[in-house]
Amino acid sequence: MAFAVALLSRTKQYTECPPLMEEDKYIDSRQKLEIILKPMEGAEETGLIIHDELCSGCGNCVVACPVNVANDPHGSGRGFGPTNEKVIFRVENGKVKAANVKECRRFGKDKILCRACIDPCPTEAIEFV
Amino acid sequence: MALDVGKFIKAPEYDIKIITRRDVFQASVCEEDCFSDECLELSALIVLDAAEMKRMGIQDGANVRLTSIWGSVVVRAMASPREEQKGLGFMVNGPWVNALVSDETPGGIPAFKDIEVKISISKDGMTGIKELFLL
Amino acid sequence: MEMTEPITWTCTGCALLCEDIQVYIKDNRVEKVEHACLKGKARVYGCKHTAMSTVDQEEVDVNNAIRQAAEILEEARNPLLYGWSNSTSEAQVAGIELAQTLGACIDSTSSFCQGITINEIINGSVPSCTLDEVREKADVVIYWGADPMSSHPRHLSRYSYFPRGELRQRGYEEDRTAICIDVTQSRTAKICKGMFFSIPPGGDAEFMQALMDGLAGRVPKLSYDFDVKRILELAAVLKKAEFGVIFAGLGLVYSIKEEFDLISEFMSTLNRFSNFFLIPMAGHFNMRGFNHNLHEETGFIHRVGFTKNGPVSGVEYSVVEQLKHGADAVMVVGSDPLASLPLSISRRLKDIPLILVDPCSNLTTRVADVTIPCGVSGIEVGGTAIRLDGKKMDISPLIQGDGLSDEMIVRRIMEEVS
Repeated sequence: MAFAVALLSRTKQYTECPPLMEEDKYIDSRQKLEIILKPMEGAEETGLIIHDELCSGCGNCVVACPVNVANDPHGSGRGFGPTNEKVIFRVENGKVKAANVKECRRFGKDKILCRACIDPCPTEAIEFV
Repeated sequence: MALDVGKFIKAPEYDIKIITRRDVFQASVCEEDCFSDECLELSALIVLDAAEMKRMGIQDGANVRLTSIWGSVVVRAMASPREEQKGLGFMVNGPWVNALVSDETPGGIPAFKDIEVKISISKDGMTGIKELFLL
Repeated sequence: MEMTEPITWTCTGCALLCEDIQVYIKDNRVEKVEHACLKGKARVYGCKHTAMSTVDQEEVDVNNAIRQAAEILEEARNPLLYGWSNSTSEAQVAGIELAQTLGACIDSTSSFCQGITINEIINGSVPSCTLDEVREKADVVIYWGADPMSSHPRHLSRYSYFPRGELRQRGYEEDRTAICIDVTQSRTAKICKGMFFSIPPGGDAEFMQALMDGLAGRVPKLSYDFDVKRILELAAVLKKAEFGVIFAGLGLVYSIKEEFDLISEFMSTLNRFSNFFLIPMAGHFNMRGFNHNLHEETGFIHRVGFTKNGPVSGVEYSVVEQLKHGADAVMVVGSDPLASLPLSISRRLKDIPLILVDPCSNLTTRVADVTIPCGVSGIEVGGTAIRLDGKKMDISPLIQGDGLSDEMIVRRIMEEVS
C-alpha cells in the first residue's frame, strides 16, 4: 500500500518494483499500469502538464496564476510579460513554459487544489494529473 | 463488368449557413507559409454540430463538398466539441470559404458571415490551393 | 545557448501592438521571443517564402519593377491603391499622397472590417476609451460578436479581464465581469462561463433593442426564443457598471451594418444609466492608422476617390465596388486580396494590371503583373502605428533588412510618375 501511495504522489516509479518488472506472472499488471500512468509522463512534480500543441501563448495563465502575481506584481500581475525569474509561467516562442513549480499551490504539505491556471485557459492546454 | 451503382446515386444535400471566424493556430501557420499543408489542413475545414453531422450522415473527419452559386470546394468536416446552433457551419476566413461568398456587397461589405451553401458527403480529395486558383 | 541581451519590441502581429515583447537577436536573426503569443511569434520569425522583384512573373531588378509599376499607374484612367493595414503610418501617408498625385481611388481592408465602427468613433458619435483605461478601471467588459482569444490572443491577459488595475486590485474573479454575446460558444465565451449569451445569426439588433427595453424597465420582446429573465439580469449588470466597455467584433458589425445608427442609440441609452465605452476589434496592426491618416488628409476614413473637385468618399469607392466595376489597374500594398476577398470579386484581379508590394510571396503574387518586395513593417522597417483603441505607438525595427521599405517604394513610384 505504501508503494502505491508513493506511486500516486510520484515519489516512486513503477519500474522501481522488482517483482513487477522481473516476474512473468505480473506482466498483465505491468502493462495495465503502463497505460494508466501514461498521462503522468512529462508531468512536473506538481502533476502539471502543458499540452504544447494546444497552447496559443495568450498568457492568461501567466497573469492569472497567484504565484506569478505575488512574485511579480508589477509585471505579470499587471498583464505584462514576467519581469523576473521567480514566476511559474512565462511564454517563450509563442508557448507557455513552467518553472519554479515547487512554488505552485498544488505543491508541498499545505497544498490546495488551485485551478487558477486551468480555468482561464481557452484551449485546455493546461492539466494536472 | 459490375456496375458501380453508388457512382450514380447523388449524395444527399443539405442547406446550411456558413459563418466565418478567426483561429490563432491557422493564422500563425498561414502567416508562416500560406502554401503549406498545415495551412490547408486548418483552412479547408468546416466545423459542424456533432448531432447535425450524424443526422446528415457525415462522419467526423470526412470530406464534404460545399456548393454555393458562386463556387464549390471540398473541405474536411469536423464535429464541434460543443453543441452548436442547428443549420450552421463555421469556417476560418481564407481562400476556401471565399470561393463560396457572393459578389453582392450591400454597403461595400461581402456577406462573410452569411454564406448559404449546400453540403454533401464527397469522395473527392480536399480542394488544393492551386485548384482553387483555376476556379 | 549563450544569449545576448534582449531587445524590447512592439509586436506587429495584430492591432494590440503589445509593447513588452523581448526578442533575442544573434547575427541579425531572431533567436528567441518572449511574451509574444503564437501570432506574434509567427510575425517575428517571418514568412517562409519571401517576395521577389518581378515583371510579368519574370525576375527583374527592383528598379525595373518600380518603373513598370509607375508606368501601369500612369496609364490607368482609374487606378485603385488598396491594402495599407499592414503598413506603418508613414507608408500610409505616402500612399495617400500617391493617390492624390494620380487622381486615384484609395481604400484599405477596413472597408469590409471595422471601418464603419472607427468612423463613428472618429466622428464622436460613439464614446471610446483606451485599453490602458480598460485595464485600470473596467469592471464590466462585453465581447460582442468578438472572440479575442482567437483573434487577439493577449487581449484578456494584457488589458480586458485578467490583469490587476488601479481600481481593480483584487483580481478578475472579484473585480471584473466578462460577458460574451455570440452565435457560438467561442474560446472567449468559454472564459465568460455563465455570462455567455447565445443568439441566432443576425439576431444582434433585436438583442440590443431588448437590452434597451430591459434598461428602461420594459419587458423585452424578441422574435426568437430567448429567456427574457436573462436579458433583464444582463441589463441589471450593465446598469451597475462603474466603467463598462463593449468590444465590438465583426460578428456585431456585419450583423447590424445596415442599421448602424443603432450602435450610437444603444450607447446613449446605456449611458443614461451607466458609463460605457466602445472599442472596435481591428485586426491588422495598423488598420486604424490608415483611417486616422486618411481622415486627417481628406475628412474621410476610407473609400476615397481623388477627383478634380477634391476628395470624395462613398460606397462606389470601396475596394469591392472598384474591383467589380471601376478600377482599371490596382496596386496592393501589404495585403493578399486573393486570399481575403470573395473569389467572385477578387477573380477580376487576373484581368487588370496588378502591382503587389509585399514582403512575402502570397496567393496574389501568382497573378500580379509586377511584384516589389518590401521590408516587413515592425521587423525590418520602423515608424509609427495606431493601436486598435486609437493610441499612437512607436514601432522600431528589429533587424537590418536588405529591401526597401514600403514607404520608400511608394515614394519612388511617386517620383517616377510626377
